[in-house]
Amino acid sequence: MRSIIFCKRTIKELLRDPLSYIFCLGFPIVMLIIMSVVNNSIPAEAHMDIFQIQNLAPGIAVFGLTFVMLFACLQVSKDRTTAFLTRLYASPMRPVDFIAGYTLPLLIIAVLQAVINFVTSFVIGLISGYTFQLFHVLLCLVALLPTALLFIAFGLFAGSLLNDKAAPGICSLLITAACILGGIWMDVDSIGGILKTVCQVLPFYHGVQAARMAMQGEYSQLGKPFFIILIYALVIYTFAVLAFQKKMRSDLK
Amino acid sequence: MSEYALEVRALKKTFGSKVAVGGVSLTVEKGILFSLLGVNGAGKTTMIRMLNGLSKPTEGQAFVMGHSVAQELSQIKQLSNISPQETAVAPNLSVWENLEFMADIYGMNREKSRKRVQEVLDQFALHEVEQQRAGTLSGGWQRRLSIAMALITNPEILYLDEPTLGLDVLARKELWRTIEDLKGKITIVLTTHYMEEAERLSDQVAVMVAGEIKACGTVHELYTITGKKTLEDAFVAIAEGEVSI
Repeated sequence: MRSIIFCKRTIKELLRDPLSYIFCLGFPIVMLIIMSVVNNSIPAEAHMDIFQIQNLAPGIAVFGLTFVMLFACLQVSKDRTTAFLTRLYASPMRPVDFIAGYTLPLLIIAVLQAVINFVTSFVIGLISGYTFQLFHVLLCLVALLPTALLFIAFGLFAGSLLNDKAAPGICSLLITAACILGGIWMDVDSIGGILKTVCQVLPFYHGVQAARMAMQGEYSQLGKPFFIILIYALVIYTFAVLAFQKKMRSDLK
Repeated sequence: MSEYALEVRALKKTFGSKVAVGGVSLTVEKGILFSLLGVNGAGKTTMIRMLNGLSKPTEGQAFVMGHSVAQELSQIKQLSNISPQETAVAPNLSVWENLEFMADIYGMNREKSRKRVQEVLDQFALHEVEQQRAGTLSGGWQRRLSIAMALITNPEILYLDEPTLGLDVLARKELWRTIEDLKGKITIVLTTHYMEEAERLSDQVAVMVAGEIKACGTVHELYTITGKKTLEDAFVAIAEGEVSI
Protein backbone atom coordinates (compact mmCIF):
# COMPACT_ATOMS: atom_id res chain seq x y z
CA MET A 1 0.00 0.00 0.00
CA ARG A 2 2.84 2.39 0.82
CA SER A 3 4.33 1.57 -2.59
CA ILE A 4 1.14 2.81 -4.26
CA ILE A 5 1.14 6.00 -2.16
CA PHE A 6 4.76 6.64 -3.10
CA CYS A 7 3.95 5.82 -6.77
CA LYS A 8 1.23 8.49 -6.81
CA ARG A 9 3.63 11.02 -5.41
CA THR A 10 6.35 10.15 -7.97
CA ILE A 11 3.87 10.39 -10.86
CA LYS A 12 2.71 13.81 -9.67
CA GLU A 13 6.31 15.01 -9.30
CA LEU A 14 7.16 13.84 -12.82
CA LEU A 15 4.01 15.05 -14.56
CA ARG A 16 4.27 18.49 -12.98
CA ASP A 17 7.80 19.04 -14.21
CA PRO A 18 7.60 20.90 -17.57
CA LEU A 19 10.92 19.33 -18.59
CA SER A 20 9.19 15.93 -18.61
CA TYR A 21 6.96 17.09 -21.46
CA ILE A 22 9.79 18.74 -23.36
CA PHE A 23 12.18 15.80 -23.20
CA CYS A 24 9.91 12.78 -22.80
CA LEU A 25 7.29 13.84 -25.36
CA GLY A 26 8.24 16.95 -27.30
CA PHE A 27 11.78 16.04 -28.30
CA PRO A 28 11.05 12.48 -29.58
CA ILE A 29 8.03 13.71 -31.55
CA VAL A 30 10.03 16.56 -33.10
CA MET A 31 12.73 14.04 -34.07
CA LEU A 32 10.07 11.75 -35.54
CA ILE A 33 8.76 14.57 -37.73
CA ILE A 34 12.25 15.79 -38.75
CA MET A 35 13.45 12.31 -39.65
CA SER A 36 10.28 11.65 -41.64
CA VAL A 37 10.99 14.81 -43.64
CA VAL A 38 14.61 13.65 -44.07
CA ASN A 39 13.33 10.27 -45.28
CA ASN A 40 11.27 11.97 -47.99
CA SER A 41 14.48 13.56 -49.30
CA ILE A 42 16.34 10.26 -49.56
CA PRO A 43 16.09 8.78 -53.07
CA ALA A 44 14.77 5.22 -53.36
CA GLU A 45 18.01 4.17 -55.10
CA ALA A 46 19.87 4.72 -51.84
CA HIS A 47 18.02 1.67 -50.37
CA MET A 48 18.07 3.34 -46.98
CA ASP A 49 15.01 2.17 -45.10
CA ILE A 50 16.06 3.07 -41.54
CA PHE A 51 14.10 6.34 -41.61
CA GLN A 52 10.98 4.82 -43.14
CA ILE A 53 8.15 5.27 -40.67
CA GLN A 54 7.79 1.54 -39.86
CA ASN A 55 11.47 1.50 -38.76
CA LEU A 56 11.62 5.02 -37.46
CA ALA A 57 8.65 4.68 -35.07
CA PRO A 58 10.16 1.85 -32.98
CA GLY A 59 13.59 3.52 -33.08
CA ILE A 60 12.18 6.81 -31.82
CA ALA A 61 10.23 4.87 -29.15
CA VAL A 62 13.56 3.55 -27.82
CA PHE A 63 15.08 7.04 -28.15
CA GLY A 64 12.22 8.40 -26.01
CA LEU A 65 12.89 5.77 -23.34
CA THR A 66 16.41 7.11 -22.88
CA PHE A 67 14.83 10.29 -21.49
CA VAL A 68 12.79 8.22 -19.05
CA MET A 69 16.20 7.09 -17.76
CA LEU A 70 17.19 10.74 -17.33
CA PHE A 71 14.07 11.46 -15.31
CA ALA A 72 14.46 8.32 -13.19
CA CYS A 73 17.97 9.41 -12.37
CA LEU A 74 17.02 13.03 -11.65
CA GLN A 75 14.08 12.05 -9.44
CA VAL A 76 16.11 9.67 -7.26
CA SER A 77 19.16 11.94 -7.01
CA LYS A 78 17.01 15.00 -6.20
CA ASP A 79 15.15 13.10 -3.47
CA ARG A 80 18.47 11.95 -2.06
CA THR A 81 20.09 15.38 -2.23
CA THR A 82 17.21 17.07 -0.41
CA ALA A 83 16.21 15.82 3.02
CA PHE A 84 12.99 14.34 1.63
CA LEU A 85 14.31 10.78 1.64
CA THR A 86 15.69 11.28 5.17
CA ARG A 87 12.16 12.03 6.30
CA LEU A 88 10.88 8.92 4.55
CA TYR A 89 13.70 6.74 5.90
CA ALA A 90 12.41 7.67 9.37
CA SER A 91 8.90 6.58 8.37
CA PRO A 92 7.56 2.99 8.25
CA MET A 93 8.46 2.74 4.51
CA ARG A 94 10.55 -0.30 3.51
CA PRO A 95 13.19 -0.46 0.73
CA VAL A 96 10.75 -2.35 -1.53
CA ASP A 97 8.26 0.54 -1.22
CA PHE A 98 10.87 2.98 -2.52
CA ILE A 99 11.95 0.73 -5.41
CA ALA A 100 8.38 0.03 -6.55
CA GLY A 101 7.43 3.66 -5.95
CA TYR A 102 10.05 4.82 -8.40
CA THR A 103 9.77 2.01 -10.97
CA LEU A 104 6.02 1.71 -11.57
CA PRO A 105 5.34 5.41 -12.36
CA LEU A 106 8.29 5.47 -14.76
CA LEU A 107 7.02 2.33 -16.51
CA ILE A 108 3.60 3.94 -16.88
CA ILE A 109 5.18 7.11 -18.30
CA ALA A 110 7.30 4.98 -20.66
CA VAL A 111 4.20 3.20 -22.02
CA LEU A 112 2.26 6.49 -22.38
CA GLN A 113 5.20 8.01 -24.19
CA ALA A 114 5.40 5.06 -26.60
CA VAL A 115 1.63 5.21 -27.24
CA ILE A 116 1.80 8.94 -28.09
CA ASN A 117 4.81 8.24 -30.31
CA PHE A 118 2.88 5.54 -32.19
CA VAL A 119 -0.21 7.71 -32.57
CA THR A 120 1.98 10.42 -34.13
CA SER A 121 3.67 7.78 -36.30
CA PHE A 122 0.24 6.54 -37.40
CA VAL A 123 -0.65 10.04 -38.63
CA ILE A 124 2.72 10.38 -40.41
CA GLY A 125 2.18 6.89 -41.86
CA LEU A 126 -1.22 7.94 -43.26
CA ILE A 127 0.39 10.96 -44.93
CA SER A 128 3.26 8.91 -46.38
CA GLY A 129 1.06 6.01 -47.42
CA TYR A 130 1.98 3.41 -44.78
CA THR A 131 -0.63 1.78 -42.55
CA PHE A 132 0.40 0.35 -39.19
CA GLN A 133 -1.24 -2.86 -38.06
CA LEU A 134 -2.73 -2.54 -34.59
CA PHE A 135 -1.55 -5.98 -33.49
CA HIS A 136 2.02 -5.17 -34.50
CA VAL A 137 1.88 -1.86 -32.62
CA LEU A 138 0.63 -3.65 -29.49
CA LEU A 139 3.32 -6.30 -29.89
CA CYS A 140 5.91 -3.54 -30.22
CA LEU A 141 4.65 -1.97 -26.97
CA VAL A 142 5.24 -5.30 -25.23
CA ALA A 143 8.65 -5.66 -26.88
CA LEU A 144 9.57 -2.20 -25.56
CA LEU A 145 8.87 -3.09 -21.92
CA PRO A 146 12.28 -4.75 -21.22
CA THR A 147 14.02 -1.76 -22.83
CA ALA A 148 11.96 0.59 -20.65
CA LEU A 149 12.93 -1.43 -17.57
CA LEU A 150 16.58 -1.35 -18.68
CA PHE A 151 16.64 2.44 -18.96
CA ILE A 152 14.73 2.88 -15.68
CA ALA A 153 17.33 0.60 -14.08
CA PHE A 154 20.18 2.71 -15.48
CA GLY A 155 18.40 5.80 -14.12
CA LEU A 156 17.90 4.27 -10.66
CA PHE A 157 21.49 3.10 -10.65
CA ALA A 158 22.94 6.52 -11.54
CA GLY A 159 20.48 8.34 -9.27
CA SER A 160 21.40 6.11 -6.32
CA LEU A 161 25.14 6.56 -6.69
CA LEU A 162 25.49 10.13 -7.99
CA ASN A 163 24.21 13.51 -6.90
CA ASP A 164 21.76 15.58 -8.94
CA LYS A 165 24.59 17.50 -10.62
CA ALA A 166 26.70 14.53 -11.75
CA ALA A 167 23.86 12.15 -12.60
CA PRO A 168 22.49 14.01 -15.69
CA GLY A 169 25.98 14.07 -17.23
CA ILE A 170 26.32 10.30 -16.98
CA CYS A 171 22.81 9.87 -18.39
CA SER A 172 23.67 12.11 -21.36
CA LEU A 173 26.58 9.79 -22.13
CA LEU A 174 24.27 6.78 -21.98
CA ILE A 175 21.69 8.52 -24.19
CA THR A 176 24.37 9.20 -26.81
CA ALA A 177 25.69 5.63 -26.56
CA ALA A 178 22.19 4.17 -26.86
CA CYS A 179 21.41 6.26 -29.95
CA ILE A 180 24.65 5.49 -31.77
CA LEU A 181 25.26 1.91 -30.67
CA GLY A 182 21.60 0.98 -30.66
CA GLY A 183 21.23 1.70 -34.34
CA ILE A 184 18.49 4.28 -33.91
CA TRP A 185 20.08 6.80 -36.28
CA MET A 186 22.20 4.48 -38.42
CA ASP A 187 21.99 1.04 -39.95
CA VAL A 188 24.40 -0.96 -37.83
CA ASP A 189 23.84 -4.15 -39.86
CA SER A 190 24.99 -2.55 -43.11
CA ILE A 191 28.09 -1.08 -41.42
CA GLY A 192 29.17 -4.37 -39.87
CA GLY A 193 32.73 -4.92 -38.62
CA ILE A 194 33.89 -4.10 -35.12
CA LEU A 195 31.15 -1.50 -34.67
CA LYS A 196 28.50 -4.15 -35.15
CA THR A 197 30.28 -6.45 -32.70
CA VAL A 198 30.37 -3.68 -30.09
CA CYS A 199 26.69 -2.96 -30.72
CA GLN A 200 25.80 -6.63 -30.30
CA VAL A 201 27.66 -6.86 -27.01
CA LEU A 202 25.72 -3.91 -25.56
CA PRO A 203 21.97 -4.11 -24.85
CA PHE A 204 20.73 -1.08 -26.82
CA TYR A 205 20.95 -2.68 -30.29
CA HIS A 206 18.85 -5.64 -29.13
CA GLY A 207 16.22 -3.31 -27.68
CA VAL A 208 15.89 -1.46 -30.98
CA GLN A 209 15.91 -4.72 -32.96
CA ALA A 210 13.18 -6.26 -30.78
CA ALA A 211 10.97 -3.18 -31.25
CA ARG A 212 11.53 -3.12 -35.03
CA MET A 213 10.92 -6.86 -35.46
CA ALA A 214 7.69 -6.60 -33.45
CA MET A 215 6.50 -3.60 -35.48
CA GLN A 216 7.16 -5.44 -38.75
CA GLY A 217 5.55 -8.67 -37.49
CA GLU A 218 8.78 -10.62 -37.93
CA TYR A 219 7.84 -13.17 -35.29
CA SER A 220 10.59 -15.62 -36.16
CA GLN A 221 13.29 -12.97 -35.61
CA LEU A 222 11.71 -11.27 -32.58
CA GLY A 223 12.54 -13.90 -29.94
CA LYS A 224 16.32 -13.57 -29.85
CA PRO A 225 16.67 -9.78 -29.39
CA PHE A 226 13.66 -9.77 -27.05
CA PHE A 227 15.17 -12.34 -24.68
CA ILE A 228 18.63 -10.76 -24.83
CA ILE A 229 17.24 -7.33 -23.87
CA LEU A 230 15.01 -8.95 -21.23
CA ILE A 231 18.01 -10.64 -19.58
CA TYR A 232 20.02 -7.40 -19.73
CA ALA A 233 17.10 -5.50 -18.20
CA LEU A 234 16.63 -7.97 -15.35
CA VAL A 235 20.36 -8.08 -14.55
CA ILE A 236 20.84 -4.28 -14.66
CA TYR A 237 17.62 -3.76 -12.67
CA THR A 238 18.85 -6.19 -10.01
CA PHE A 239 22.10 -4.19 -9.81
CA ALA A 240 20.12 -0.96 -9.57
CA VAL A 241 18.00 -2.31 -6.70
CA LEU A 242 21.14 -3.50 -4.90
CA ALA A 243 22.80 -0.09 -5.46
CA PHE A 244 19.74 1.72 -4.06
CA GLN A 245 19.59 -0.57 -1.02
CA LYS A 246 23.34 -0.25 -0.44
CA LYS A 247 23.12 3.52 -0.64
CA MET A 248 20.13 3.51 1.71
CA ARG A 249 22.03 1.37 4.20
CA SER A 250 25.10 3.60 3.98
CA ASP A 251 22.89 6.68 4.48
CA LEU A 252 21.54 4.99 7.61
CA LYS A 253 24.96 4.17 9.08
CA MET B 1 5.33 1.78 30.10
CA SER B 2 8.34 3.96 30.68
CA GLU B 3 7.92 7.22 32.61
CA TYR B 4 10.43 8.82 30.24
CA ALA B 5 10.01 9.80 26.62
CA LEU B 6 13.70 9.14 26.10
CA GLU B 7 16.25 7.08 27.97
CA VAL B 8 19.73 7.11 26.56
CA ARG B 9 22.47 4.98 28.08
CA ALA B 10 26.12 5.45 27.09
CA LEU B 11 25.16 6.06 23.47
CA LYS B 12 28.17 6.33 21.22
CA LYS B 13 28.68 6.92 17.52
CA THR B 14 31.98 6.90 15.74
CA PHE B 15 32.80 7.42 12.07
CA GLY B 16 36.15 5.71 11.65
CA SER B 17 38.41 7.31 14.25
CA LYS B 18 36.17 10.36 14.65
CA VAL B 19 33.87 10.30 17.67
CA ALA B 20 30.63 12.09 16.77
CA VAL B 21 28.77 11.18 19.97
CA GLY B 22 30.81 9.87 22.85
CA GLY B 23 28.90 7.77 25.37
CA VAL B 24 25.99 10.09 26.10
CA SER B 25 23.49 9.24 28.86
CA LEU B 26 20.37 11.24 29.55
CA THR B 27 16.65 11.01 30.23
CA VAL B 28 13.87 13.22 28.92
CA GLU B 29 10.52 13.43 30.67
CA LYS B 30 7.31 13.10 28.69
CA GLY B 31 5.60 16.26 27.47
CA ILE B 32 8.52 18.66 27.79
CA LEU B 33 10.52 20.56 25.21
CA PHE B 34 14.09 19.37 25.50
CA SER B 35 16.81 21.28 23.66
CA LEU B 36 20.16 19.98 22.58
CA LEU B 37 22.30 23.08 22.42
CA GLY B 38 25.68 23.07 20.75
CA VAL B 39 27.86 24.57 18.07
CA ASN B 40 27.98 23.10 14.55
CA GLY B 41 29.53 19.63 14.63
CA ALA B 42 28.79 19.08 18.33
CA GLY B 43 26.91 15.85 17.57
CA LYS B 44 23.33 17.07 17.97
CA THR B 45 22.07 15.86 14.60
CA THR B 46 23.89 12.52 14.93
CA MET B 47 22.25 12.10 18.32
CA ILE B 48 18.71 12.53 17.02
CA ARG B 49 19.48 10.50 13.90
CA MET B 50 20.34 7.58 16.20
CA LEU B 51 17.11 8.04 18.14
CA ASN B 52 15.15 7.87 14.87
CA GLY B 53 16.90 4.83 13.46
CA LEU B 54 18.53 6.98 10.77
CA SER B 55 21.95 6.14 12.13
CA LYS B 56 23.06 3.00 13.94
CA PRO B 57 24.73 3.54 17.33
CA THR B 58 28.25 2.15 17.64
CA GLU B 59 27.68 1.39 21.32
CA GLY B 60 25.08 1.95 24.01
CA GLN B 61 21.32 1.78 24.21
CA ALA B 62 18.43 4.13 23.61
CA PHE B 63 14.76 3.77 24.46
CA VAL B 64 12.01 5.90 22.93
CA MET B 65 8.73 5.77 24.85
CA GLY B 66 10.05 2.58 26.42
CA HIS B 67 10.88 0.91 23.08
CA SER B 68 14.42 -0.11 22.27
CA VAL B 69 15.86 1.63 19.21
CA ALA B 70 17.91 -1.47 18.45
CA GLN B 71 15.04 -3.96 18.65
CA GLU B 72 11.71 -2.14 18.29
CA LEU B 73 12.36 0.42 15.59
CA SER B 74 9.12 -0.25 13.73
CA GLN B 75 7.08 0.62 16.85
CA ILE B 76 9.20 3.72 17.41
CA LYS B 77 8.62 4.87 13.82
CA GLN B 78 4.87 4.91 14.47
CA LEU B 79 5.33 6.94 17.67
CA SER B 80 7.84 9.53 16.54
CA ASN B 81 8.55 11.84 13.65
CA ILE B 82 11.26 14.20 12.56
CA SER B 83 11.54 17.52 10.79
CA PRO B 84 15.05 17.31 9.33
CA GLN B 85 17.54 20.16 9.34
CA GLU B 86 17.07 20.85 5.65
CA THR B 87 13.52 21.48 4.55
CA ALA B 88 12.12 18.12 3.51
CA VAL B 89 9.10 18.60 1.28
CA ALA B 90 8.06 17.25 -2.13
CA PRO B 91 8.48 20.43 -4.23
CA ASN B 92 5.96 19.66 -7.00
CA LEU B 93 3.22 18.58 -4.60
CA SER B 94 0.88 21.17 -3.10
CA VAL B 95 0.89 21.87 0.63
CA TRP B 96 -2.29 19.80 0.98
CA GLU B 97 -0.80 16.91 -1.01
CA ASN B 98 2.42 16.90 1.02
CA LEU B 99 0.43 16.64 4.24
CA GLU B 100 -1.91 13.98 2.85
CA PHE B 101 1.07 12.01 1.54
CA MET B 102 2.65 11.84 5.00
CA ALA B 103 -0.65 10.88 6.65
CA ASP B 104 -1.14 8.10 4.09
CA ILE B 105 2.42 6.79 4.48
CA TYR B 106 1.76 6.36 8.20
CA GLY B 107 -1.31 4.25 7.43
CA MET B 108 -4.24 6.64 8.00
CA ASN B 109 -7.37 5.83 6.01
CA ARG B 110 -8.73 8.38 3.54
CA GLU B 111 -11.32 9.89 5.89
CA LYS B 112 -8.95 10.17 8.83
CA SER B 113 -6.19 11.48 6.62
CA ARG B 114 -8.35 14.30 5.23
CA LYS B 115 -9.60 15.24 8.69
CA ARG B 116 -6.07 15.34 10.01
CA VAL B 117 -4.88 17.48 7.07
CA GLN B 118 -7.59 20.03 7.89
CA GLU B 119 -6.58 20.05 11.55
CA VAL B 120 -2.92 20.60 10.74
CA LEU B 121 -3.71 23.29 8.16
CA ASP B 122 -5.65 25.09 10.92
CA GLN B 123 -2.95 24.51 13.53
CA PHE B 124 -0.15 25.87 11.33
CA ALA B 125 -2.24 28.54 9.59
CA LEU B 126 -1.42 27.01 6.21
CA HIS B 127 -4.85 27.46 4.60
CA GLU B 128 -3.83 30.44 2.48
CA VAL B 129 -1.15 28.35 0.75
CA GLU B 130 -2.80 24.93 0.85
CA GLN B 131 -3.10 24.64 -2.95
CA GLN B 132 0.31 26.16 -3.63
CA ARG B 133 3.18 23.89 -4.67
CA ALA B 134 5.64 23.45 -1.82
CA GLY B 135 8.63 24.33 -4.00
CA THR B 136 7.22 27.81 -4.64
CA LEU B 137 6.82 28.69 -0.94
CA SER B 138 9.24 30.98 0.91
CA GLY B 139 11.79 29.43 3.27
CA GLY B 140 9.66 30.23 6.32
CA TRP B 141 6.52 28.65 4.87
CA GLN B 142 8.47 25.59 3.70
CA ARG B 143 9.90 25.09 7.18
CA ARG B 144 6.46 25.45 8.71
CA LEU B 145 5.12 22.87 6.24
CA SER B 146 8.05 20.59 7.02
CA ILE B 147 7.17 20.65 10.73
CA ALA B 148 3.47 20.22 9.93
CA MET B 149 4.37 17.11 7.89
CA ALA B 150 6.12 15.68 10.92
CA LEU B 151 3.21 16.48 13.21
CA ILE B 152 0.39 15.20 11.00
CA THR B 153 1.13 11.62 12.06
CA ASN B 154 0.23 12.46 15.67
CA PRO B 155 3.68 11.58 17.04
CA GLU B 156 4.17 11.23 20.76
CA ILE B 157 7.70 12.54 20.31
CA LEU B 158 8.76 15.08 17.70
CA TYR B 159 12.35 15.85 16.71
CA LEU B 160 13.03 19.30 15.32
CA ASP B 161 16.53 19.49 13.92
CA GLU B 162 17.63 23.15 13.73
CA PRO B 163 14.08 24.22 12.80
CA THR B 164 14.85 27.91 12.32
CA LEU B 165 18.23 27.58 10.61
CA GLY B 166 18.52 30.06 7.74
CA LEU B 167 15.21 31.79 8.42
CA ASP B 168 14.86 35.57 8.70
CA VAL B 169 13.97 37.07 12.05
CA LEU B 170 10.24 37.37 11.36
CA ALA B 171 9.90 33.81 10.06
CA ARG B 172 11.91 32.58 13.06
CA LYS B 173 9.66 34.34 15.58
CA GLU B 174 6.57 33.05 13.78
CA LEU B 175 7.94 29.50 13.97
CA TRP B 176 8.74 29.92 17.65
CA ARG B 177 5.09 30.80 18.28
CA THR B 178 4.08 27.63 16.42
CA ILE B 179 6.46 25.51 18.49
CA GLU B 180 5.27 27.17 21.72
CA ASP B 181 1.71 26.15 20.83
CA LEU B 182 2.85 22.51 20.69
CA LYS B 183 4.47 22.59 24.11
CA GLY B 184 2.85 20.41 26.70
CA LYS B 185 0.93 18.39 24.12
CA ILE B 186 3.78 16.15 22.98
CA THR B 187 7.44 15.64 23.81
CA ILE B 188 9.67 17.78 21.60
CA VAL B 189 13.40 17.31 21.15
CA LEU B 190 14.89 20.35 19.49
CA THR B 191 18.45 20.88 18.33
CA THR B 192 19.69 24.42 17.93
CA HIS B 193 22.72 26.61 18.15
CA TYR B 194 20.63 29.74 18.70
CA MET B 195 20.82 30.65 22.39
CA GLU B 196 17.75 32.88 22.24
CA GLU B 197 15.76 30.02 20.76
CA ALA B 198 16.79 27.56 23.46
CA GLU B 199 16.19 30.16 26.18
CA ARG B 200 12.71 31.02 24.98
CA LEU B 201 11.39 27.57 24.14
CA SER B 202 13.07 24.99 26.36
CA ASP B 203 11.87 23.31 29.52
CA GLN B 204 15.24 21.62 29.74
CA VAL B 205 18.54 22.21 27.96
CA ALA B 206 21.51 19.91 27.42
CA VAL B 207 24.74 21.56 26.35
CA MET B 208 26.57 19.35 23.90
CA VAL B 209 30.24 19.91 23.17
CA ALA B 210 32.39 17.67 20.96
CA GLY B 211 29.95 14.77 21.20
CA GLU B 212 29.46 14.93 24.97
CA ILE B 213 26.77 16.37 27.21
CA LYS B 214 28.59 18.90 29.36
CA ALA B 215 25.60 20.17 31.32
CA CYS B 216 21.89 19.46 31.54
CA GLY B 217 19.08 21.26 33.34
CA THR B 218 16.63 24.10 33.09
CA VAL B 219 17.89 27.40 31.77
CA HIS B 220 17.87 28.83 35.32
CA GLU B 221 19.80 25.84 36.64
CA LEU B 222 22.46 26.52 34.01
CA TYR B 223 22.62 30.16 35.16
CA THR B 224 23.07 28.99 38.75
CA ILE B 225 25.72 26.41 37.86
CA THR B 226 27.78 28.87 35.84
CA GLY B 227 27.01 32.06 37.75
CA LYS B 228 26.11 33.78 34.47
CA LYS B 229 23.06 35.86 33.62
CA THR B 230 22.46 34.89 30.02
CA LEU B 231 22.33 31.52 28.31
CA GLU B 232 24.97 32.65 25.85
CA ASP B 233 27.43 33.42 28.66
CA ALA B 234 26.50 30.19 30.44
CA PHE B 235 26.98 28.21 27.23
CA VAL B 236 30.39 29.78 26.56
CA ALA B 237 31.47 29.09 30.15
CA ILE B 238 30.44 25.44 29.83
CA ALA B 239 31.78 24.95 26.29
CA GLU B 240 35.14 26.51 27.09
CA GLY B 241 35.46 24.65 30.36
CA GLU B 242 35.46 27.79 32.52
CA VAL B 243 33.26 25.92 34.98
CA SER B 244 33.70 22.27 35.83
CA ILE B 245 30.46 20.36 36.08
